[in-house]
Amino acid sequence: MKLEICNLSGYKIYPSRGRTFVSADSKTYRFLSSKTESLFHQNKKARLLAWTPIYRRLQRKGVSEEVAKKRTRRNVKFNRAVVGASLEQINARRNEKSDIRSAARAEAVAKAKEQRKGEAAKRKAARANAPDAGKFSKQQARGSASKVSRSGR
Amino acid sequence: MIQLKSRLNVIDNSGALVAECIKVLRNARAANIGDEIVVAVKKARPISEKTSSSLSAAKIRKGDVRRAVIVRTRKEIRRPDGRYVRFDDNACVLLNNQQQPLGSRILGLVAAELRFKNWVKIVSLAPRVV
Repeated sequence: MKLEICNLSGYKIYPSRGRTFVSADSKTYRFLSSKTESLFHQNKKARLLAWTPIYRRLQRKGVSEEVAKKRTRRNVKFNRAVVGASLEQINARRNEKSDIRSAARAEAVAKAKEQRKGEAAKRKAARANAPDAGKFSKQQARGSASKVSRSGR
Repeated sequence: MIQLKSRLNVIDNSGALVAECIKVLRNARAANIGDEIVVAVKKARPISEKTSSSLSAAKIRKGDVRRAVIVRTRKEIRRPDGRYVRFDDNACVLLNNQQQPLGSRILGLVAAELRFKNWVKIVSLAPRVV
């Protein structure tokens, strides 16, 4: 089933409705009703007939609702620099490949371990050199609670 | 709906231009597309002595009585899909007594109804069928 379009008004013509007119110069015109057919033969222009979709399109009637619906704002994601990390740093960190990151992390971990080992060795050595150092009791090491002194008033 | 005294344009190259219906070869008052009628030629192209020998088609003069088949009508016709079609004028093609077209060419379009009424030769000669 092919839907034709009325040559004058622009309405859809369903089968078995309307008429077809073949003019002397072999042009075929399809009309939805006797109204459109009559207007065509009076040489009326659809652009000037206020009820036709052609007129309404030209005069932009009924278009405002469609336009309003389409104009919803979209939030744009924007990358911003933060105090402590500039935009380049952020982008660099984001674009780092996972294996590089894990390698760097492993490296850092190993470094930290080594550092800690070194410090522990130092501390041991210090303790060995100062034998009195270990004789402090825990309380003494913590320090006594200070007496509340009478201040003014 | 062509009836007695109706004038039709002749759209073949037989030489006739306007024909007037004088008899409808149907048991009805009016004839439609694809019906045969008897016409009297009312207007014909002038035949000069020089062209008469070179013309392959028959020479038709004003006043000749011939048969014709109607190929276009201003009255709308109904198609099987419910559509109605109508043309801008009434037109016919002249025939001889054996129901063959007199002319060798057809100028202009014809209605598709002719195919279903077995005017196959005319449909094949026509430049456009609507």
